[in-house]
Amino acid sequence: MHVNRNPLPSKVEAFSLGMAGLACFVAIWVAASISGLVPRQFLPTPWEVALRTYNLLWEPFAGATLPVHLARSFERFASGFTLAAAVGVPLGLLMGWFRWLDDMITPVFDGLRFISPIAWVPFAALWFGTGLGGPILIIFSGAFPPCLINAYRGARFVDRTYIEAAQMLGTGNRRTILHVLLPASFPAIVAGLRIGAGLGWQSLVGAELIVASAGVGYMMVQGQSNISTRTVMAGMIAIGVVGLVIDVALRQLEAFVRRRRGLR
Amino acid sequence: MSAIQFEDASRLFERDGKTFPALENVNFTVADKEFVALVGPSGCGKTTCLRMAAGFEVPTAGRVLVGGMQVPGPGPDRAVVFQQFALFPWKSVEDNIAFGLRNKNMAAEERRRRVSGVIKLMGLESYETAFPHQLSGGMQQRVAIARAYVLDPQVLLMDEPFGALDAQTRIVMQEELVRIARVNPRTVLFITHAVEEAVYLADRVAVMTRRPGRIKEILDVRAIRAAENWDRHERVEDVMDLESFVHLRTHIWRLLRDEKMALDG
Amino acid sequence: MHISRRLAIGTATIVTLLVLWPVLTLVTGTIDTGRFPSPLQFWQSLRQIVTVGYADGTLWQHAMQSLKLVVMGFVVAVSFGIPLGLLMGWSRRAEAFINPIFLLIRPIPPLAWIPLAILWLGLGDAAKIMVIFFAAFVPAVINTFTGIRTIEPHIIEAARMLGTGRSRLVVEVLVPGAAPMIFTGLRLSLQASWTTLVAAELVGAITGLGRVLNVAQTDIYPAMVLVGMVAVGVLGWATTRVLAGIESRLMPWLSVRA
Repeated sequence: MHVNRNPLPSKVEAFSLGMAGLACFVAIWVAASISGLVPRQFLPTPWEVALRTYNLLWEPFAGATLPVHLARSFERFASGFTLAAAVGVPLGLLMGWFRWLDDMITPVFDGLRFISPIAWVPFAALWFGTGLGGPILIIFSGAFPPCLINAYRGARFVDRTYIEAAQMLGTGNRRTILHVLLPASFPAIVAGLRIGAGLGWQSLVGAELIVASAGVGYMMVQGQSNISTRTVMAGMIAIGVVGLVIDVALRQLEAFVRRRRGLR
Repeated sequence: MSAIQFEDASRLFERDGKTFPALENVNFTVADKEFVALVGPSGCGKTTCLRMAAGFEVPTAGRVLVGGMQVPGPGPDRAVVFQQFALFPWKSVEDNIAFGLRNKNMAAEERRRRVSGVIKLMGLESYETAFPHQLSGGMQQRVAIARAYVLDPQVLLMDEPFGALDAQTRIVMQEELVRIARVNPRTVLFITHAVEEAVYLADRVAVMTRRPGRIKEILDVRAIRAAENWDRHERVEDVMDLESFVHLRTHIWRLLRDEKMALDG
Repeated sequence: MHISRRLAIGTATIVTLLVLWPVLTLVTGTIDTGRFPSPLQFWQSLRQIVTVGYADGTLWQHAMQSLKLVVMGFVVAVSFGIPLGLLMGWSRRAEAFINPIFLLIRPIPPLAWIPLAILWLGLGDAAKIMVIFFAAFVPAVINTFTGIRTIEPHIIEAARMLGTGRSRLVVEVLVPGAAPMIFTGLRLSLQASWTTLVAAELVGAITGLGRVLNVAQTDIYPAMVLVGMVAVGVLGWATTRVLAGIESRLMPWLSVRA
């Protein structure tokens, strides 16, 4: 889009600008750390953080090594997310199809929307203690809305002509939902899954900061209590990387679905 | 002096890493205060010609001159009327029209005078405070034309300005444009793919080849208009019924068909 | 009529739930009030925190503390985020320079900044504002950026044709053009601000609604937990409405009927 007076930067130029930006960022970080402007304890240098991250791959901290903590976190995430998708997507489709169901559920949903997932942590703790149920509840409350909303939108706004064609062919409700609505809303559903996964992963981190005995969030809280900034930062990196991997994987799935549909 | 000169103007464009010629050695001139219509098959590059004169694009070879100087960039001396109107949705009709004058740092009193003058000219009274989306397509295009006119530009560049309008509105706008052009003639480059529109409005019609575009032929309509006294008729449909008009139109159609067949064949 | 049917069913559902609540907790005992409070318990806790106070403060004091931090964090984040988004949207060079840094920071969930914030700034207000900043900053930048990029190119061309100077271009063309998406970003930023604030206060705070939730959880006081959640919900709703009000004041052309 030729919006600006200046011509678009070439790929090479864009790349070098990007590298320059990163370099500035790292330079400021290193300068602040080494100069002692910020006490070393609170701002370790990038390589110290990298080293710590590497160490944590083998050395346990707060009960387990980093990969083990990550595995625990991911387990919970997977359970909570699967539940959110398993409930949210079918419910969304049904709400999109049966108007009365939509009328019933939407007001309740709208009311609960303003309560952020994290606010469920106390109840999660009260009901499940440090058991698996707690984090799953939190992840569910984060991942459920996008799964539901996207499936709902996908179903509601399906091209009328598909529905009419199905009706003309004498298709009953169940078949219409399974063979028309579901395939037609697939792209929207997958987009919802991606957003839900992102929110679910974030909510999990929050939950683990507050109520957990294992997992990356827990590791970070212990790191904070022990004034081990490197550990905290290592945790942040790990969380970021896993979150990115999940997002990229789901984006690929989304692109795959769109291509198969010829939507590209 | 505000003539538009295309001297061997060429333009390449890029897609998927390959370059294609959009225009090749376009040579023609729109004389001072002349109304030239540019017609041609889809994609022949007529809009690109206009955009080069406007300063939105630069020729990759050759030159485009306005008033004897190479086009430096867009500016109010070469006012553009876009096909998509390009009005600011967040400004009222009168604010849209006044915008260019504010950029010229015109005094408020003078500005108000000019704006209400052009609002009257374009029949927009009582719509001054309306927002663009509240208006019909025809009204919006009037605002776009008013916005260009109020600048009192040397050059007017119109890119299929009536393309988005329905047939009836289109005819009304064509008649209005003729009326306004008589009152205050200026250099106009008018892009259209409707041949009748071109013949009705223009002094000369330039016909372009298919891509890569160049000028196939230029027809002098003014001479025929004067000779056959088209101006005795007020209505568009009456003029378009005249034998001399039909002749000219059919000739241009044939030229365009040649181009289409060369494309298909 | 379809609309009133929708209203009827919706109202009926909510009323049913409101009726089931006391019935299931008080009458049949299906829901253990040790886990979820009855309406009576809820009301009693509400009265307690409003009059006497709980967790070292009245409801008003806690609510104002939380609200204060959300607003401060939100305003700071948005004051940096929108100009940055404008810059990145307009200048491809700025985008190329800043984007990689952004891509590094983005995957880190806002809540993951909490331990670091506490390490650096302690348990006071500053740490909360820092975390809210990171949460609210990202949506503001991204949506402003997208808002600029999705302005119809012809509008920018028209502005250039009309000889618009740079500052007028930004103020009267780019910002209004991007405004709808900027406000979408603001809505997301506000949501993120509340979530982050509650989480930060749950982890460590002296006053605030998150603190109320935390203490209630430790005291095993479900009714107070519910009071805290409802308070968070109400404040979230109220601030969203205020933002919506500002939105329609600043963008009158969107609300006018065609």
